[in-house]
Amino acid sequence: MLVNQLKYDLLLFSRELFYLIFTIIVPPATYLFMGTLYGDFTYAGGLNYAETYTPSFILLITFGVVFFAFGFDQVMNRTIGVEKRISITPVPKKTLLLSNILKSIIITSFGYFLVFFIGMIVHDLSFVPLNFVASFGFFMLLNAALLIISSAIYSLFTSVNAALVFSIVIFQIGMISGGFAMPVDMMPAFVQTIADFNPLYHMNQLFIAVWNGQFIVDNQSLLSIGYILGCVTISLLLLRFVYKVKK
Amino acid sequence: MEIVHVKQLKKSYGTNKVLRGIDFTAQAGEIIGVIGKNGAGKSTFLEILMTLKTYDEGNVFVFDKEVRSLSTHQLEGIRKQISVVLQPTQFYKSLKVVELLKLFKAYYKSSVNIEKIIADFKLEPYRKTYFNKLSGGWKQIVSLAIAFLSEPKMLILDEPTTGLDPHMRNILWAYITKYNKRTGGTVILTTHNMDEVELYCDKVMLLNDGVGETFDTTKRILDSGYKSIHDFYLSKVSM
Repeated sequence: MLVNQLKYDLLLFSRELFYLIFTIIVPPATYLFMGTLYGDFTYAGGLNYAETYTPSFILLITFGVVFFAFGFDQVMNRTIGVEKRISITPVPKKTLLLSNILKSIIITSFGYFLVFFIGMIVHDLSFVPLNFVASFGFFMLLNAALLIISSAIYSLFTSVNAALVFSIVIFQIGMISGGFAMPVDMMPAFVQTIADFNPLYHMNQLFIAVWNGQFIVDNQSLLSIGYILGCVTISLLLLRFVYKVKK
Repeated sequence: MEIVHVKQLKKSYGTNKVLRGIDFTAQAGEIIGVIGKNGAGKSTFLEILMTLKTYDEGNVFVFDKEVRSLSTHQLEGIRKQISVVLQPTQFYKSLKVVELLKLFKAYYKSSVNIEKIIADFKLEPYRKTYFNKLSGGWKQIVSLAIAFLSEPKMLILDEPTTGLDPHMRNILWAYITKYNKRTGGTVILTTHNMDEVELYCDKVMLLNDGVGETFDTTKRILDSGYKSIHDFYLSKVSM
């Protein structure tokens, strides 16, 4: 049943142009375009463009997939009645949830390898097996955190239009204050303040460090990990509350 | 054989008491219409029978099992025997009709042949049409075809003919009555169309402000002096 559900979930994703554009097309295209503009720059930690922005754009794809194809999709299914109709079938809820999670993991992993491949071809990004494995493992943890946060946020929406506007706005805010467009240090003070409250910014900083083998346990990394864990905990509590109210 | 037994069912949403003590039974093979004005609690009542919603007080037995006491696994077992057509009818919009049928066949682990369902419901011209490209009437037909895929013992229909033209309504009712006669399955539905209730339903339950004001056979209601179920409804329900 799980394989069958997953097959249809992936089929549905592939037929949604809106999801494809925001997840699989825009981030890699932006990664390539930015590379032509800032490819020769040196960034924090003495890293070059590919070392800084390859993990960033992988995370951006993950953000897009988890927020659009997972979170927003849930709102759409809920508001048009699909969720209700499916919930009356004997298919276990765990199967549906697991399929949805696997779908997100497959698509985000595709994004991971796509950006990595572009980085290798265009920016001579080196392949270090140990770093690659550590990065992919950390990427999975970030994936799980984003799935929980997204699920909690979108559980509050009862209208597709509101969820759509929110998704587009949050994508922009997430992209700018998350350090995906340019280093947050170079941005105005108010953007830097927003970044402090943006879990994506913290995820991005940690992911860049892990990707490049520069992760160290210090105040900054502990603060970032703590903030992400805090967001995940609040999200889990919110999900529990919404589930109780629905019942 | 008793399929559903409901005793003093109560349900509130916060301070809003939607169901205030409903008694109801459904025997195998009966077609029962649940009527009442908007907000009377019809959909909530049906959703409790579908095992979709919990309830505050009372007892709800479906296939001799109290719904409230069932585990998630047991509920899945009950749901195998129930099929529904919801209002509004919606499925994954970017799946084709044949894909939807295959998906739901897998959900119900049904042995019914998809091609037979496509032939029975005259869906051949639409088999590769995306669900959101179908007209409202054909969406309802597909929804009914999906409902029949599992060969349910009980069919619950929430306003199945709302928005359909008379031809589509006739087609839909032809399928429902055929199913009822062929399988002896129970049909419970809500509708605002009193002519349909009079024509097709064995029993009627009138819900008024969350209370089952009348629950009787259509024949007895008409024999008690009402010209039609429409008249009965108008005399019992104020605006």
